[in-house]
Amino acid sequence: MSTQIEQQETETEEQEAEPEVESPGDRRRAAKRQRLQEEEAQRVAEEETLDDEETVHLKVFRYDPEVEGKQEPRFDDFTVPYHKGMTVLDALIYARDRYDSSLTFRHSCRQAVCGSDALFVNGRQRLGCKTQLSDLEDPVRIEPLPHQEVVKDLVVDMEHFYDQMEAVEPFFDPDELPEDDLEEQRQTRENRETVKMSTRCIWCGACMSSCNIAAGDNEYLGPAAINKAYRFAMDEREGEQRKQERLRIIEQEHGVWRCQTQFSCTEVCPKDIPLTEHIQALKRESVKNNLKFW
Amino acid sequence: MAEHYSSFERGGRRWLFQRLTAVFLIGVLAFHFVLLHFVNHAADITFLGTQARMSQVGYFATMWLFLVTATFHGVNGVYNALVNQGLTGSQKNAVKYLLVVAGLLLVVQGTRVALAMTNLV
Amino acid sequence: MSQSYNRGTVEDFGRWREFTAGMWAWIFHKFTGWVLVGYLFTHIAVLSTAINVDPAAAQSSADIYTNTIAGLESLLVVRFLEVGLLAVAVFHILNGIRLLMVDLGVGLESQDKSFYASLVLTGAIVVASVPTFLGGKLV
Repeated sequence: MSTQIEQQETETEEQEAEPEVESPGDRRRAAKRQRLQEEEAQRVAEEETLDDEETVHLKVFRYDPEVEGKQEPRFDDFTVPYHKGMTVLDALIYARDRYDSSLTFRHSCRQAVCGSDALFVNGRQRLGCKTQLSDLEDPVRIEPLPHQEVVKDLVVDMEHFYDQMEAVEPFFDPDELPEDDLEEQRQTRENRETVKMSTRCIWCGACMSSCNIAAGDNEYLGPAAINKAYRFAMDEREGEQRKQERLRIIEQEHGVWRCQTQFSCTEVCPKDIPLTEHIQALKRESVKNNLKFW
Repeated sequence: MAEHYSSFERGGRRWLFQRLTAVFLIGVLAFHFVLLHFVNHAADITFLGTQARMSQVGYFATMWLFLVTATFHGVNGVYNALVNQGLTGSQKNAVKYLLVVAGLLLVVQGTRVALAMTNLV
Repeated sequence: MSQSYNRGTVEDFGRWREFTAGMWAWIFHKFTGWVLVGYLFTHIAVLSTAINVDPAAAQSSADIYTNTIAGLESLLVVRFLEVGLLAVAVFHILNGIRLLMVDLGVGLESQDKSFYASLVLTGAIVVASVPTFLGGKLV
């Protein structure tokens, strides 16, 4: 029995095809049908009582260049039943699954690790899965990240952001390796503390999107990339030559000097990385480094 | 991006000088305001009074340094503001030279004024 | 993906209600900076009258330099503009100190509080200085 046939059976719920000989598989399928029917009944009941229930009003940015009639950006309204602990991402998933399957947004882990669902929620860059609806004012206005081009609905083009991240050559490159191949490359506790917060970056792009300077200057490396450079440049195990190279990258005209310490990136970072602090530290590091040659 | 990294000397040195002049200006600007608005009322300023102050070498030197650092700090600040607005290419260069010329003119004129205020010339 | 939609600068000044302390500090610092550099040029221009001072007239305070300053100071508008200049200068100094601290990596976690402090202090200093600026002979 193929799944397709079963699908049809579930869709036509009234149809009760009693098999002549009952096998364990049939019993399981019957139980499943039963469960699906119950769920469906529950859903219908839920929707009927939606008016009495606590709901959240979403206003979601919609745009699709490939569908006629959606090429002009607009906001769609969704009313979603609210439950305690519900996040913006939960609400979006509900709206997509129940109301409009064409609603497009990125999400994956749902626990603030993958960094896919940075959105512009009520005028601020936030991670959808980490933002409680109870913390937001109704209606909840959900837009794609500003300062990036919109591909469709809430999906933005991250290419430029990734380019900037790669521009700082974010990989570990020590001068000397331990003699024994199996030996760990150790770091002091103090040094670990220095770089600890910078390692938490999940590449969500919220900081870059919030940065006023990055918006005006496309060549500016941006907070995330500079933080990435900080993570390696400040690591005591990093090789001297690689560090010099890295400092040369971040101290170019569109590197750290563009930062105007507006603290926007630090405010929006969902992982609480003190980005401004790290950028300032690299400015000092670079001045110190160059004073040596004067 | 990765192909044309400019050297440190442009961004970094200006950044450092902007801060160093800031430290100096904080003190001198506060002193200037207190001296010429609170100790001496602006309305009571006369040429003789100005001349008496400016003829002291220490005061003259401070005021002249005030002029130079303030000009650098101001003109460099304007340049940074414009670059942050996304000024690029030949426009950026034009603005740069315009600001350098304006700054130099201001320092020259300011020096002439300062010398005229002394009893040296 | 052949097409994509560019919304331009979404976070423009129209969203000023959503700006945080650091952003306001930057806006005010930049604005006061423009005012101060503008004033610097005007200031030197006005003081340039010192170049043409007649030494004989200066003895009786009737020279062009003294007269120009006295003439400007006799205008009430100029007095108010001076109060404005004081406000601008004091804020630029105080927030400048805040920014230098930020550059040195000191107290970054209370950067918003230090911004509010510089605002309050500026207000206090300006209010306290109003009598000094508006007082004195208004010929």
